[in-house]
Amino acid sequence: MASLLLRQSLTKTKPTAIIRRFSTAAALASPTEYEEPTGITMKGVKIPGRPLYLDMQATTPVDPRVLDSMLPFYLSRYGNPHSRTHLYGWESETAVETARAQVAALIGASPKEIVFTSGATESNNISVKGVMHFYKEKKRHVITTQTEHKCVLDSCRHLQQEGFEVTYLPVGSDGLVDLDRLRKEIRPDTGLVSIMAVNNEIGVVQPVEEIGKICKEFNVPFHTDAAQALGKIKVDVEKWNVSLMSLSGHKIYGPKGIGALYMRRRPRIRVEPQMNGGGQERGIRSGTVPTPLVVGMGTACELAMKEMEYDEKRIKGLQERLLNGIREKIDGVVVNGSMDRRYVGNLNLSFAYVEGESLLMGLKEVAVSSGSACTSASLEPSYVLRALGVDEDMAHTSIRFGIGRFTTEEEIDKAVELTVKQVEKLREMSPLYEMVKEGIDIKQIQWAQH
Amino acid sequence: MAASGVAAPTRTEVLQLYRSLLRVAREFCDYNIREYTKRRTIDAFRDNKNLTDPSQLSAAFSDGKAQLEVAKRQTLVYSLYAPKVKSIMDIKPS
Repeated sequence: MASLLLRQSLTKTKPTAIIRRFSTAAALASPTEYEEPTGITMKGVKIPGRPLYLDMQATTPVDPRVLDSMLPFYLSRYGNPHSRTHLYGWESETAVETARAQVAALIGASPKEIVFTSGATESNNISVKGVMHFYKEKKRHVITTQTEHKCVLDSCRHLQQEGFEVTYLPVGSDGLVDLDRLRKEIRPDTGLVSIMAVNNEIGVVQPVEEIGKICKEFNVPFHTDAAQALGKIKVDVEKWNVSLMSLSGHKIYGPKGIGALYMRRRPRIRVEPQMNGGGQERGIRSGTVPTPLVVGMGTACELAMKEMEYDEKRIKGLQERLLNGIREKIDGVVVNGSMDRRYVGNLNLSFAYVEGESLLMGLKEVAVSSGSACTSASLEPSYVLRALGVDEDMAHTSIRFGIGRFTTEEEIDKAVELTVKQVEKLREMSPLYEMVKEGIDIKQIQWAQH
Repeated sequence: MAASGVAAPTRTEVLQLYRSLLRVAREFCDYNIREYTKRRTIDAFRDNKNLTDPSQLSAAFSDGKAQLEVAKRQTLVYSLYAPKVKSIMDIKPS
């Protein structure tokens, strides 16, 4: 056995070959049923290789530097950070506190104001429901927007069922919230204003500084979902005057299953905990803090601070390349959401006279999404696009391109080529497009009923 | 991180580090990580080209060496779990 291993290592066989030789049937379930040497077959589609990834708003790949910092905590430093009596606990706790400081540094907060949770969804739940339940005697009103993330909207609906009142602010056709309307809606019993910093579907950046000023004026707590904003635009809790902020790990090249909640200490905001237990994380979120995930998020935040400028410059160039590349070859392309107040890595396009599902089915070699990952299961067009006032047919044909740190120019060029080809193919087949080319205005047609 | 009294790296050392980083970048089996490592190395060395302060130089050099160690470990980890099918960008059109 030993000589076999020695011979293999001397002849420099690839590590994968060695491992597969000795793996038993009970080894990790490797999902290789759909992968063959010639390509991948899944759900009836066959592609020669793994698609190029342009869906950074859904999730991001884990940066190798982040993975490197996490692995020791899965291998030898596996202690529970709440064990106070031995080295394993002490080293885990040190790592958690270091990560906490790294997260706090990225948003301009103090480490004492950061609570680790299982993700931005949990942080949003704690913020919306926790704050309102705590102040339920005096405050009965919540203000949010129509384009918030599903978890915020669902928490608000839950509050409505409990008897609270919720105002859903409309947005303009550029996706931005109307500040005067916000000012008018604030009442003496408003307990929370919750407006996300960067929208996950259309990439629009809300005027958070101005909203923060208004909330400070009326002394209303301001919560923002900064899951898509963290590490991408400059986040400063003092300038924005936020009381609560939800952060997510897997949107900034960190691991999935971790997030954080920023809770202001001066003036102190109080919440009712949603997870009861041993009182970890200052009683706000009980449960063992997952050291490897927390360390991963900390490293990801530190990297984001170092790389933010470099990444942004690069991604801006790639976004322009993508948009110009598509616009040069085909017309009838509409960008959903404001072009000026936008995060550069998110490009949501609607293609006129093309059906969305068929466009996506043809774009199998590019991993993009239509609408957001959480709403793509249903057949309805995305509620965000509907709130923007986009027509039903244009809303159905929207595609969201997400550009990130690891995207290359070649990938953008290939995505442009594939999208243009697919759109042209579908338009060739479309009778509506033929009528448009002849000059008929589709909206004026009186469709005869049978 | 700047250690006082540590000499600034020589030109040869810097070039050696640059070449090692590019060599290790080639060993990533993941297309995106490989291209990113190459590109980031080139851009980082280009941005620091005009540094003259010895403490800044040695800080940047040690940072580069640390990144090289991380990259060496990660090429191994990525190759252990390489998917059987490569990214479409790596497949040459036949």
